[in-house]
Amino acid sequence: MRSDTTGFWTPVALSADLPAGTVIPARMAAGTIALWRSQTGHIAASADRCPHRGMSLSHGFVRGEVLSCIYHGWSYGRAGNCLRIPAHPGLTPPDAIRVVTHDVRDTGGIVWVASGIPAGDPPDLDGFTPLRSLTADADRAALALAAGAQADEDGRLVTNIAGQDLCLLLADQPEGRTLIHVLVRSGSDAAARIAASRSVERLRRMAESASHKGGVQ
Amino acid sequence: MTAQTTLQQAMPHQAPPHQAPPHQAMIDEWYPVGLVSQLDRSGRHTALMGEPIVVSGDDAGNPLVTGGNGRILPVKVRYGHVWSSLGTPTKDIFSIPEADQPGRRFVDVGVVRVRCSPLRAVENFLDIAHFPFVHTDVLGAEPHTEVQNYTAEIRADVDEVWATQVKFYQPQASKSASGGITTEYMYRVPAPTCSVLYKTCPPRPSEWDVITLFVQPLAEDLCDVWPWMALFDDETSMTDLIHFQQMIFLQDRSILENQIPRLLPLDPGMEIPTRADLTSIAYRRWLKRHDYTYGAQLVAR
Ligand code: FES
Ligand SMILES: [Fe+2]
Repeated sequence: MRSDTTGFWTPVALSADLPAGTVIPARMAAGTIALWRSQTGHIAASADRCPHRGMSLSHGFVRGEVLSCIYHGWSYGRAGNCLRIPAHPGLTPPDAIRVVTHDVRDTGGIVWVASGIPAGDPPDLDGFTPLRSLTADADRAALALAAGAQADEDGRLVTNIAGQDLCLLLADQPEGRTLIHVLVRSGSDAAARIAASRSVERLRRMAESASHKGGVQ
Repeated sequence: MTAQTTLQQAMPHQAPPHQAPPHQAMIDEWYPVGLVSQLDRSGRHTALMGEPIVVSGDDAGNPLVTGGNGRILPVKVRYGHVWSSLGTPTKDIFSIPEADQPGRRFVDVGVVRVRCSPLRAVENFLDIAHFPFVHTDVLGAEPHTEVQNYTAEIRADVDEVWATQVKFYQPQASKSASGGITTEYMYRVPAPTCSVLYKTCPPRPSEWDVITLFVQPLAEDLCDVWPWMALFDDETSMTDLIHFQQMIFLQDRSILENQIPRLLPLDPGMEIPTRADLTSIAYRRWLKRHDYTYGAQLVAR
């Protein structure tokens, strides 16, 4: 595990799971954020709390290049600044009204969100393509044990199951859960992709039953 | 609507006794605990400010409210509801003179359980700026989002929060409205978890329709909301009136259960109001002034 003083990247979603014009909640170890993609394809990540009356911003909506809160429609740009308060159409919102934002990258088919200021770029996923995401009710250690391989500093775990190379990106979630993004070798055919999906389901079950037997709650 | 959640599930976040702030001011208030029309002998097992209570009726229809240790709690019947208190109320239940006016129809809307602070539920009821976004095409619609200036004050003589000259464009203001109109409102907060709304009455321009929100605080972050109405409307069926109001409130619930923090922040700084929030600002100030802090968050805590 890393120390708290350095920034790091968390793989929060597959790029394909965040179409243009949508917002979704994304769980980070420290809590939920609002992850959204503008109509022209730009990704942004902000705190999941509207500063007006505390409504969760991941319940909001995206129009054009702005994220709007579903409660009173206040809208925010990618940099987190409030652009419009519908109750006062003539008012230019003061600069002090803003949401906290996170640095975000869309690379290798994965959306990465920064905690703090990471020293470098998100890790390279050379030769692997994202397949799907799933959540395990088990922590990183239990998954490593089940996979027979350790995750590196970036949460990247490369293993071989039944002759097939798999890359798993592990992201810690609240309450000891782990979000797993499954990547297969680029160019894998349909049969290989189905096999990979099943292997990871099995791996998840192993890790979950091991951690529940251990009584570690 | 019936309550699905058991009380054990319902009250997960009670502060341990040593942290409990003094809520005497709110303990001595009256709260709605059930509908008179639904009183029965087996009773409604519910809660008031963290204490399990049972609301039942005898064969003659007299209500009886008992607290956690079997003690008999004060009880009153008013506005279609049974009211009770854990403490010793020094005042009567607030009056709504319109409730005695002939020609009105009284609508018991029923109960909606909401996982939020009782104070947040009231504050949402006082807010009009959310109409176009939460009650889209019913109580509001873009681009008619502007909140014009209105007056909000704490009236010293009656010790109530009042907002007047509130106007808003509505595509369908009520079940009996057809087409959009600019509706005028007055809001009143006579008790910490109760609000009365007076609203333009299309069939009788000289009168106001009355819609209330009576909130039963189950815990600091959980409440049962009992809307009640006294309307001039002879056309709409009772079922339609109830469904209309329930639909509106279920839309509000989707907001109320997703506000962070769940408790109402009473100190400035946590949230940013604008001119459209004058009623909410007055309500928060009034709560703080009276130590009505059950369901509130203070920096000091
Ligand atoms: S809470 Fe977000 S706009 Fe009001
Ligand atoms: Fe509402």
